Amino acid sequence: MTRFSPALLLASLAFAAHFSAAADPDFSLPGNAAGLLETHCFTCHDGDSEKGDVRLDDLADVALDARLELLNKMQEQLYFGEMPPRDRKKQPSDSEREQLQDWVAGELEKHNASTLEDKLRYPDFGNAVDHDKLFSGEIQDAAYTPARRWLVSPQIFEERVKDVFQLEGRDRNRKLHGVTNPFILPDRSGVRDYDNTTLDGGHLLVMLANAEWISYKQIRAARVKSGELKADEYQNPKDKWAPRETPSALEAVIINPDKPSDDELIAAIHAQFDMVLGREPTPEEAQRYLDLTRSSVEVAGNTEGLRQMLVSVLLESEFLYRLEFGAGEPDEHGRKKLAPNEAARAISYALGDRGPDPVLQQAAVEGRLSTKEDFEREVRRLLADETYYAGAVDPALSGKNMRSHETTHPKLVRFFREFFGYPTAAKIFKDSPRSDGFYQNPSRGTAGSPGFLIKEADRIVDYHLARDEAVFENLLTTDEYFVYHDKDNETGKQIIAEWTEAYEKLKDTDWKASPEQVIEENLEFIKSKKSLRIVGGKQKRELLRYMYYFEDTIAKGRTPFTTPSFAHGYTYNHSTFYNLPPTPHIFRYNVVLDKNFKALEEEEFWDYPVEQPFKIEHRKGILTHPAWLIAHSSNFHTDPIKRGRWIREKLLAGRVPDVPITVDAQVPEDPHKTFRERVETVTTKEECWKCHQHMNPLGLPFEAFDDFGRYRLEEPLEYPEHLTSKATKKGGADTYKTKTVSTLGELSGTGDPKLEGVVEDSFDLIDRLAKSDRARQSIIRHAFRFFLGRNERLSDSQTLIDADRAYVESGGSFRAVVVSLLTSDSFIYRK
Amino acid sequence: MKNRRNFLKASMLAAGAGSLGTIPNLFANPDTGRPMRFIFMHRGNGLFPKVMTPPSLSEQDKARDDKKEAFEVDLAKHELPDWMAPLDAHKDNLTILQGLSGKMCTTGHHSWCSALGVYKANERPSTIKWATVDFELAKLFPSPMEHIELACFPTGGGNARGSLEGIAKGFSARGPQQPNYAFGSPKRAMEELFKSVSSEKDDQIKYQLERKVLEFAAKNQARIGENLDGIEQSKVTNYAESIEAIRERNRKIDNMGDVLRQHVPKLEEKYLADELNTLDRQNAHAEVLLSALISGLTNVVAFTVDELGHPYTGLPGIENEKVNMHDVGHNKSIGGLEAPEIRKRARQHHMTLIDTIVTRLKSTPDGSGTMFDNTMLFYFPDGGETHHSHGWEYPFVVMTGNNSKVNLGSKYIRLPYHNEVGHKTLGNWWTTILNANGNPIEHFGDHDLSLRIDQSGPIRQFL
Repeated sequence: MTRFSPALLLASLAFAAHFSAAADPDFSLPGNAAGLLETHCFTCHDGDSEKGDVRLDDLADVALDARLELLNKMQEQLYFGEMPPRDRKKQPSDSEREQLQDWVAGELEKHNASTLEDKLRYPDFGNAVDHDKLFSGEIQDAAYTPARRWLVSPQIFEERVKDVFQLEGRDRNRKLHGVTNPFILPDRSGVRDYDNTTLDGGHLLVMLANAEWISYKQIRAARVKSGELKADEYQNPKDKWAPRETPSALEAVIINPDKPSDDELIAAIHAQFDMVLGREPTPEEAQRYLDLTRSSVEVAGNTEGLRQMLVSVLLESEFLYRLEFGAGEPDEHGRKKLAPNEAARAISYALGDRGPDPVLQQAAVEGRLSTKEDFEREVRRLLADETYYAGAVDPALSGKNMRSHETTHPKLVRFFREFFGYPTAAKIFKDSPRSDGFYQNPSRGTAGSPGFLIKEADRIVDYHLARDEAVFENLLTTDEYFVYHDKDNETGKQIIAEWTEAYEKLKDTDWKASPEQVIEENLEFIKSKKSLRIVGGKQKRELLRYMYYFEDTIAKGRTPFTTPSFAHGYTYNHSTFYNLPPTPHIFRYNVVLDKNFKALEEEEFWDYPVEQPFKIEHRKGILTHPAWLIAHSSNFHTDPIKRGRWIREKLLAGRVPDVPITVDAQVPEDPHKTFRERVETVTTKEECWKCHQHMNPLGLPFEAFDDFGRYRLEEPLEYPEHLTSKATKKGGADTYKTKTVSTLGELSGTGDPKLEGVVEDSFDLIDRLAKSDRARQSIIRHAFRFFLGRNERLSDSQTLIDADRAYVESGGSFRAVVVSLLTSDSFIYRK
Repeated sequence: MKNRRNFLKASMLAAGAGSLGTIPNLFANPDTGRPMRFIFMHRGNGLFPKVMTPPSLSEQDKARDDKKEAFEVDLAKHELPDWMAPLDAHKDNLTILQGLSGKMCTTGHHSWCSALGVYKANERPSTIKWATVDFELAKLFPSPMEHIELACFPTGGGNARGSLEGIAKGFSARGPQQPNYAFGSPKRAMEELFKSVSSEKDDQIKYQLERKVLEFAAKNQARIGENLDGIEQSKVTNYAESIEAIRERNRKIDNMGDVLRQHVPKLEEKYLADELNTLDRQNAHAEVLLSALISGLTNVVAFTVDELGHPYTGLPGIENEKVNMHDVGHNKSIGGLEAPEIRKRARQHHMTLIDTIVTRLKSTPDGSGTMFDNTMLFYFPDGGETHHSHGWEYPFVVMTGNNSKVNLGSKYIRLPYHNEVGHKTLGNWWTTILNANGNPIEHFGDHDLSLRIDQSGPIRQFL
C-alpha cells in the first residue's frame, strides 16, 4: 500500500481539482499521480520554467495530439529512468515511479497511442530491459515468444528459391541470376535480423519479376518435352539454365493435349504449395487456386494457365515469412508449442539458412518434435553435422581474387560478425594515400582491403568456435591472428620447404646471368618442386622472379609469403594494417628481364608465419582487429565515440540516447591538437557530457589505433603546416609532425567494483571486460536476439539465466549457449 | 502469331479516329500547371572533355580551357563543336557544362548506378546506397509508370548475363539495394508499356492474365490480414496494399487508353525486327521515350544510349562492322576509321537523337507552351572523362526548357577543376537539380574523400 505525506496529499487535491475543471472529459489525473507530478516534475516543467520546452501542468488543456505526444515522451523518460534527472537528489521511489507509469500508460491506452511498446521491439531498445533484474532470478514468468511472422533473411530467401527448384548437392551452389533478392539487412553493428520488418511495395516489385522468372524455369523442361519449345530455344540465350525436370504434377498439365481435369490441376496446386510453402493447401485454398487456374487455362491454355497458378503461389506473403503461431491446446499460461513443422523450420533456420533436413522433417511428421528433449536431440545432431549447413560465411565478400571463409555452420560465425559489427568495414571508404597506398577500397569484383580483413576476423571467430572453449573471453583477448594465410599450415610448410631447398641448391649457380642454362641443368630437380610452377627451360622469367623473391626473403633469414607477388591476381596489401611489414609489391619483379636491370632496391619484407594463427604484438582480440577498428572509424578519423558506444551497448548492456536532433555533432578542426583532444573540447561541456560520459572513457583508449587499425602512440597532425615531407612514391603518404596520444580511459557500468576505474589503455580495458560477468551476460543477451529474432523481455529472464549458466558450466562453450537458447521456453512456446 | 503491323495499324487507326486528345494532366506542378520532365541520356566509354570545347573560343579562353581554369562564354557568339551540329537549332536551350568531378563514383570501364546515384556502385545490388537522382525526381513529379528506363545493353562486362533484347538491371535504382529494370529492346518496351491498348490477341490475353493474378493475390492477402491486428496485421496488409497500388496504377493506365492509343510509338517495320543495328535501336528507343513522355505514362526517362560492352553496329561509314567499343577505347582503328572518328560518329548520332527528342517536344503543346518548356535533358558519360576514367571530369550537354528553375543559359561553362576553390562535383550538380525542383536535400550523394574543399550543397550560381 502506498503512503502519501499530508503535503503531497494536499498538492494532489489541488491539482486534481485543477485538472477536473479541464475541458477534455477523457483526460483524468488521479490524486496520487497529480501529487507526484507536483513533487517531481513541475519544478522544471511548469508554466514558469518549461525546461526543454516541456510543460506538464496544462496537460488537460492542450490539444489531444500534443498531449499524447507529451505523454509518450513522459512514458519513455520514466521507463528508462531518465527523469527526474539522475543527479537530482529527490527521486521518486520505485513504487511511485510505477504509479506514474501506470497512469501515463492508462491515458495513452485510452487512445491506443503508446509508442513505447512499438519502440521496444527495435534493436536500439534491446538494452531497455533492466540487466540486473533480468539476471536476478526473481522473475519467474513463463517465457514465450509472441505468435509471429518473421521475414526471411536474405540468405534464407536464396535457399527457399533453391527449394522451389528442389536443387540438391552441387546444384545448390548455383547462383540463380534471374532472381533478385528482395531483402537487405541494415549495415550496422549488432543483431540485424528482427521479426518486426514488414513486406512492402519494394519487395513486391522485385517478387513480381522473380516469380515470372522462377515460373518459366519451373516448366521449361516440360515445355520442351511437349514440343512447345525446341531444346535449343531460349528467350535469353545467355540465360540457359533450368532444372532438368519439371515436377511430374506440373508436367502432366503441360503435356496434356486436352484440358486438364480438376484432379490434375489440384495435384499441380499441391505440388507448388509443397515446393514453395512447404505445406499442403487448405481445402479452401485449394478451391480458390483451382478456380484461378481453371479460368486461366480457359483464357490462355494449359501452360500459361498453369503458370499463373505458379506465379500466384510464389507471390504468397507466406513464401517470404517464417510463420510461428504455435498449435495444440494452450498450457496454463496460455502458451502453445510450435507446431511440428514450425518447430522443424525454426530449429533449422536458427542453425543455418536451409529448411529442415530429412531427419528433422521426419521427426516433425512422426510427432517427435514436441518436448524439450526432442528439440535438444535435433539441435545437438545438427550442430554435430558438418555438411548440411556448410558453406561460405559471407558470399558477398567473394570476388575475383578472394573467396569468403567457409565453415560448417556459417550462421554461428554470423552471430559474432553481427555482434562485433566488423563487416561494416567494407562500407567505410578511405583515402588510400593516407595509408601509404596500401588500403584498397572495395570496388568492382573485389571487397578490397576491408574484405580481406573481414575474412581474417571471420577466421578468428571460426577458430574459437571450433575449439569451443571460453569463446567470449578468447575472442576478446586472443593475441593470435590469421593474416593472409591462404593455404593451410601443412601446405604452407611444404611450399616453404621446397622453396628453401630450391634456393639453397640454386643460389650459387649463375642464375642471374644464365637462368635458362640453370633451369636446363636442374630441370628434373626444379620440376619436382611443384610449388615453383616451372615445368620447362623457357621459363627463365619465372626462375628469375622466384630467385629474386627468395633473395628478398630466404637469403635474409625471412620466410616468404607462400603466394608470390607475381602470381596472377595478387592483391595482398593489407599486412601493414596489423603493423606488419608488407610483402613485395605486385610489380616488384616485373623488371627482372629489362635490359637495364641491375639490382632491386633494398626493401624489408614480412617474415611470413606459415603456421597460423600466430601472435601479433599490440593486439588483443577482435576489438583491436583492424576490421573492427575500421568498421568503427570514419572516412578520415578514428571514432572513439562509436567505439565507446559499442562497448557500452554490446558489452555492458547499457544505453546511450541518440544524438539530440538539435546537436550538430562535429569535431572542431585544430591543427595543434590530437583527435582525442579535439573530441574532448566539444564533448566535455556539461550538456554533452551527460551522454558522452557513457562513451568517451570507453572509446578513447582505442586512440592507440588509427583509423586504418594501425597501432600507434604518436598521431600525425595531418595539416599543411605540419607537413614534414611529401610522399616518396606515387599514391604514398605524406609525413607530418606528430603528437603523443593519450590512451587513458575509465571503465564503469560492469556492476563489479573490482573491475571499475581508470584504465591505462585498451588492453587493460579489454582484460577487465573479459573478466566481467556483465560483459558475458551482455553477449548472451545479444545471442538471444540473434536466435530469437527479437529483444528480450523480463519474462525471458529464465531463458537468459539458463543460457548464461550453460556457458559458464561448459567452460565457455558457445554451442552450449545455442542448445540452451533453442530448447528454452522462449524458443518453443508462442502466445 | 504476332504481327506488329496489325498492332500498329490498329493503334494508328485508333489515333486517327479520336480527336487529338490533350496529354493527361495527372500531377501538375503548381507553378506552371504542368509537371517537369527529365531525360537522362548517358553513354559509356567516357566523354573526352576536349571534344566539348567550342572551336571558336578566343586564344585566351582556349588556353584557360586547356588549363582547366574556370570561365564561361555565351554560346550565341560561338560555334558548336561540329559533332554537335544537330543541336544548332536548339542553341538557345543548350548548355555545355565542364569541370564537374565524380571521384566518389565507380569509374573505369563500367559504373552502373554510380553517376546517377553518386556513390561507388557495381554489379551487386548490395552496393546501391540510395535511389538514383532520376528516381528522386520521379517522386517529385509522379506519373502512372513513375519512371522508365531504356537501354542499349552491353552483352559483356557490365551485364554478362543480360541480352540485348530483354528486361534487365539498368543504371538507375529505386532505392537502397533496389536496382531498376530497363528495357533492352524497343519492341519489348513498346509491348510492355502500351500493352493495355494492344490489339494483338496474345498481348490482350497476357494483359488479362496479369490483371487476374494481381486481383487474386490482392484478395488473398487482404483475407489473411483480416484476422490479424497490430504489427502482425501490417506485415500482411502492407503487402496487400502494395499489390492494390499496382492495380490502381494499372487502372489509371487503363483509363488513359485513348491517349495511349494516340501515342503508341510509330515505328517503322525495321525497328521492330528481331535484328536491328545499334543506331536503329537508339532511334527506336528515342521514339518509345517520346511516346512515354508525351502520353503521360512517365515524366522521367533514363536512357543508356550506349554502353562500353555494347557491340556497336550501324555506325555511318562502317555500317557492317560490329564495333567493339572497348577496342575503340584502346584507340583501335576499325573498318579504316581511327578510334576518335568512330567516337565522333557515335556522338554525332547521339546529338541527332537529342535533336529528334527536343524538336518533337517543342512541337507538343503542353499547357500554355510546349512540352519542351517543361523538360530538362542531360547527356553525359556514366564513367567520366575517358575509357579508363578516374572521375576527374564528367562533361555534360544539357538541354533546358524555358520553365526550368535551373538557371543555366545558353553557355559554355567550365567550372573550377578538382580541388580548386569553387570546384563542384556530380553530387553538387544533382543537388542543384533536386533543390530547384522541390527536393530540399542538403547534399545528394557521397563525398569525394580526396577533396579538401567544402563540397556540400547545390551550385548556387545555377539556382
